Amino acid sequence: MSRKLPLSGIRVANFGWGWLGPVAGQTLSRLGAEVYKIESYVRVDINRTIPPFAHGHDKDPNCSIQNHAAWAGNGSVTINLKKPEGQQLARELAGQCDLVLENFGPGVMKKLNLDYEQLKAVNPNCLLISMPAAGLIGALKNVRTYGMSLSSITGLDSITGYKDGPPIPMENAYADPLGGIIGAFAAVLALNYRKRNGKGQHIDFSQQEGVMQLMGPAFMDLAFNGRVAGPRSNLHPQDAAAPHGVFPCQGDDRWISIAVADDQEWANLVAAMGAPEWARKPQFETLQGRLDNIDPLHSALSDWTGQQDDYKLAEILQKAGVAAAPVLNISDLLSDPHYKARNTFVEVEHPLGFKETVYGNYVKTQHAEAPLATGPVMGQDNEYVFKDLLQMPQTRYDKLVADQVIF
Amino acid sequence: MAIAALEGVRVVELGEGVSAAFCAKLFGDYGAEVIKIEKPAAGDITRHWGPYPDDIPHPEKSGTFFTLNTNKQSVTLDIDTAKGRELLVSLISQADVLIENNMPRQMKEWGLDYASLSKLAPKLIMISITPFGQTGPYANWKAYDLNTFHLTGAGSRYCGRQGEAPLEHGTYSAEYYGAYVAATWGLASVFAQDETGGEHIDVSCAEAIAATFVGGQNIGGFAQDGVFGSRTGVGMPLAAPATILPCKDGFVWMLALEAAQWHGLVNAMGNPDWAKLEMFDDMFTRAQNSDLIYSMMIEWTMQHSKQDIMDMCQENNCPSTAVYDIQDAAEHPHMQDRNYVVELEHPVIGRVRDLGAPVRIPDCPGGPTTAAPLLGQDNETIYREKLGLSETQYRDLQSAGVI
Repeated sequence: MSRKLPLSGIRVANFGWGWLGPVAGQTLSRLGAEVYKIESYVRVDINRTIPPFAHGHDKDPNCSIQNHAAWAGNGSVTINLKKPEGQQLARELAGQCDLVLENFGPGVMKKLNLDYEQLKAVNPNCLLISMPAAGLIGALKNVRTYGMSLSSITGLDSITGYKDGPPIPMENAYADPLGGIIGAFAAVLALNYRKRNGKGQHIDFSQQEGVMQLMGPAFMDLAFNGRVAGPRSNLHPQDAAAPHGVFPCQGDDRWISIAVADDQEWANLVAAMGAPEWARKPQFETLQGRLDNIDPLHSALSDWTGQQDDYKLAEILQKAGVAAAPVLNISDLLSDPHYKARNTFVEVEHPLGFKETVYGNYVKTQHAEAPLATGPVMGQDNEYVFKDLLQMPQTRYDKLVADQVIF
Repeated sequence: MAIAALEGVRVVELGEGVSAAFCAKLFGDYGAEVIKIEKPAAGDITRHWGPYPDDIPHPEKSGTFFTLNTNKQSVTLDIDTAKGRELLVSLISQADVLIENNMPRQMKEWGLDYASLSKLAPKLIMISITPFGQTGPYANWKAYDLNTFHLTGAGSRYCGRQGEAPLEHGTYSAEYYGAYVAATWGLASVFAQDETGGEHIDVSCAEAIAATFVGGQNIGGFAQDGVFGSRTGVGMPLAAPATILPCKDGFVWMLALEAAQWHGLVNAMGNPDWAKLEMFDDMFTRAQNSDLIYSMMIEWTMQHSKQDIMDMCQENNCPSTAVYDIQDAAEHPHMQDRNYVVELEHPVIGRVRDLGAPVRIPDCPGGPTTAAPLLGQDNETIYREKLGLSETQYRDLQSAGVI
């Protein structure tokens, strides 16, 4: 476990903001990169202002524990990019970095004098990863979305909901952490490109296109048959399994997911249920029969699951060779034995004097593991970055602080 | 001419379904050489899922298989035979990366667990993408994408109406998510492979979503305060407007939080009297009156198309968007401007449209360039030329049903 992480020695200037940009930085940091989020008290990142805050630190932008799990791993330097001296400083930092990340709208980096041409001037091999909502070019390039609604322009929202009903919104921004991870994918891809070609690139990662990959099968049905997919509850996207759904269990809002892909698994399920008469009916014997009769099938299955405990039933069905798992809520995440065993969530000591729970190394590796981090304190890396990395004399540092350039 | 980002990277894919295939496709998109191992006769399960042209099932015509398996070679191999496993180990020994999504117990039974493979190929990067990961009490639980997704808390917390079943998106949301994570870790290890050597990357699709999506904005608050929410069916119950509403030809994601966005929306709606109340300048007050707000808004949205509403809102600095269906999204002029959709020639289907690369490098953009392979189409090339089997050995394996 003592080996170097794969991106050890790679330095990243992260101009990313909100949820997506910091997740991209976090991901690279878990892979060993040294990541500095550039931010400023001039306009505090909106995600630092979201409650809940750590007890005793209400409204402190360094203490939004809502935000810290998603940001942990990013360092932080404070630079006022509204001032030309701030922009100059940001270019100096970018000049010392392998990767520059940003998720502003198109044109913002140019306004800040941080566009690819200017970055190339300070670092000819710079890899700039732009992660705008719909890309840097095209008719929708200036579309304004939040992470929550970004998925609406990918088609993903249109296939989410109860069968034959309206689309139901995912009540948080699935596209943000996913987009941040794809942003990190773009960054490591770019590093591989640079290794082979010895030069930099400006990568245009459209969040829309990255998330729209999840629509691949639906797109093929459009391409082949002109069919337009809609909401379909929890049914198998290609009708290749039945039963396939989420069924009620004992207790308040308790459910179990069950998916049966073939006739053997169906036989296993029937046996686990004690072979009730309804389940032995010929119309349920084959996958096609179960698909054709899926409503009565699901309804009868619900009557059975409704009498049982979700966790216990999952154990029973697993032993019987049926794919089943409890449907977890938020509180289950911290008590579930599997996530506990994998240290998915960990408590860390924040330097400002409180404990916070973040997610740990959710990807496990055999030979090297990233240290755990807390949510970054604004400007926590100023001294190191400006004085050591950029070798700024103390007098200039003090002046830039006084002038609210480092701010 | 630039060298592709993953030129020279040799990948073996040993999996079924979506996660391993999509991860390997991401490698193939950018120039890696991907050999996909399939069961003789049946092939990958997604060959049997469709959608098929004109809905006529055919193992070479499945759209799900196609979109997940471009830029790959296919060889068939019966892994349940000793000779089959021997061939597979030879292929893996010549590879840089193995991408697999089998149950950990199964890999061990085959003698293909990391401990065994790393002895034969110390520089191998093994990427395991499973529902629940290599360790922990559920490691060997049988699970499909749906089971995986609902172990994350995402459905219970965020998707569906109160009192009704929690929902997943109508796609393989968990497997795609895990595959992106796995490809990111995999590409980083490939980048450092010369220096650091081999690695085993253990991705649990459920854990990736539980951590980064659900845990990302919930877990700190729950751990501290012990309170948690659950799904409501409304985009954001505490602020308004922030949800999906019906319109003349479909649906729109109506979103206006800050005062300026709300004023923009009011302007787009033609400044109706009801919306001018000063108390409505606050998104929380609007949420407390959401029944009224949404019913009045629906009167307006029902008169306009989703694209018109999106355009009017966006022009007024309000971030509302149309809920595009797959046709709206794929055939939008924006996607044409960006050439996102590609066309490939397939020997059985003919011309096929597919989605392009998720990320493009200007010098060597990547994306699908060759159609998904026919089952076992590369057997002869791989076994004869790459592994150096003689004509007789090859024929013997064929007649024994190993390949």
